[in-house]
Amino acid sequence: MNVPANQPVLLARLGLLLLVLALALFPVVAPLFDLDYYTGFVRRLMIVALAAASLNFLMGRVGLVALGHAGFVGVGAYAVAALAEAGWTSAWAIWALAALAGVVVAGLTGAVALRTRGVYFIMITLAFAQMLFYLAVSLRKYGGDDGYTLYTPLTLLGGEQALAASGAPLYWVVLAILALVLPALWRLEASHFGRALEGIRDNETRMQAMGYPTYRLKLCAFALAGGIASLAGALLATQNGFISPSLMHWTQSALFIVMVVIGGVGRRWGAPLGVAVWLVFEELLKQFTEYWHAPMGLLLIGVVFLAPRGLAALASRKAAP
Amino acid sequence: MTLLVAHQLVKRFGALPATDQVSFSVNAGEIHALIGPNGAGKSTLVNLISGLLPADGGTLTLDGADITHFAPHRRVAAGLSRCFQVTSIFARQTVGENLLLAVQAHAGSSFRFAQRRDSDLALLAAAQELARRVTLEADWDRVAGTLPHGAQRKLDVALALAARPKLLLLDEPMAGMGPVESAQMVALIRRLREDMAILLIEHDMDAVFQLADRISVLVYGKVLTSGTAAEIQADAQVQAVYLGTETDPADEVRA
Repeated sequence: MNVPANQPVLLARLGLLLLVLALALFPVVAPLFDLDYYTGFVRRLMIVALAAASLNFLMGRVGLVALGHAGFVGVGAYAVAALAEAGWTSAWAIWALAALAGVVVAGLTGAVALRTRGVYFIMITLAFAQMLFYLAVSLRKYGGDDGYTLYTPLTLLGGEQALAASGAPLYWVVLAILALVLPALWRLEASHFGRALEGIRDNETRMQAMGYPTYRLKLCAFALAGGIASLAGALLATQNGFISPSLMHWTQSALFIVMVVIGGVGRRWGAPLGVAVWLVFEELLKQFTEYWHAPMGLLLIGVVFLAPRGLAALASRKAAP
Repeated sequence: MTLLVAHQLVKRFGALPATDQVSFSVNAGEIHALIGPNGAGKSTLVNLISGLLPADGGTLTLDGADITHFAPHRRVAAGLSRCFQVTSIFARQTVGENLLLAVQAHAGSSFRFAQRRDSDLALLAAAQELARRVTLEADWDRVAGTLPHGAQRKLDVALALAARPKLLLLDEPMAGMGPVESAQMVALIRRLREDMAILLIEHDMDAVFQLADRISVLVYGKVLTSGTAAEIQADAQVQAVYLGTETDPADEVRA
């Protein structure tokens, strides 16, 4: 369907295009200014933003506050380890299976967790993530507590002109995936499915009484978000060449929630903004002091006071006439 | 023809039987009113029938099919739709979005991920038709939570109508309304009865006696009596329990 192309829409699309272009050029420009290190940093930022975006979809569009999202990130990372151990090398095949593993695990845990509401849902998602965490700790084959190093890098292209999934090529692939998934999630908001989820968020009892299978709709959204988080986990494992249970520590799940809240729950740019602000400030503060948590805490208090609905909400309010 | 049969429905909250072996039936095309003093278990009964609460005993049959163990959304598909005593709408969305959401529930699967919902023209037409039916078409773009109380009640009814139910459960549709709004609601219910049977739970006795073909009186979770409006008005027991006497109604029931 064609939306009438009015000026704000065109401007927003132009801005989006420029942002993607700027990000795409970064690995080319950065070495000229001795900023190579930051290519890896931005790549990590984009991967974390992917995971946070899937959580923001659950929190903002479905109203599900899940405190176990790092568990699905971990599932993706360990899927990479398992498949690499089994001799797989194609990054694409491994990522696809990792995402699928996330869908399955989120589908199974969600089937139980979604029978509860509110605080109980938070606790049961936390419990499942903790189970995954301790499962990873107990896996001797993958290093248990110490983690597991991927010695043979995954490949983006096999055969003669083999291209390793690392450096700038991996950066561009991550950017492409983010540039596909984020708009796809936005599009999903406006679909029949997304509108039904929005109704469940606002008034689930009424949705049931109007004839919606609310449980199945929520489960589908939960599995989808789990799949995206797992994909992010697989990308993270690929770029780090290393995985460990700390990826799924519950504080990581909490951190995802914090980032989404900073950025703006249910806002289109909420997840990327929140992740960017968090990671950039962490990086900056660490250069001055190893006790960076305290200034970070003050900063968070400031954000909560100045932008109680998140930074993305602040921006959109200014843009309004 | 009997449309809905409730047979010895039971619901207990702990030791308290909120619904105690309630049996009654609603015929096709009739308005059956359920009245009773506060705490009689009317709301519990509505939740049992619509499936928001599971029954502890008894059976529920709609149009010959046993729906006792159906989830709420399957009861709606079977032809049973409800309104809420406390207005239950999507207050932050516009009237149009509310109606689109209601219509969408019965127009194909909601597991559609690609197409924009708002560009689904068939859906839009159906939602606008619904708005006309409850005379809310002028408020299409208004945020539902900002509507006056009476209009919100009409929207609540419209959300239930989208399912094209065989039986509509109206849980105190006149609650909190002034005389003008009440009269409008009575007129709306009269129009609706052309197309469906209605189970009306209501406190407003004038409205009940204007609308109902049959009335069942619920007291302390039990059906005291059922009958035509005239029979109920003349019933001494009902007068004592519901319309008020000098004595404690509880004693009358226990006697």
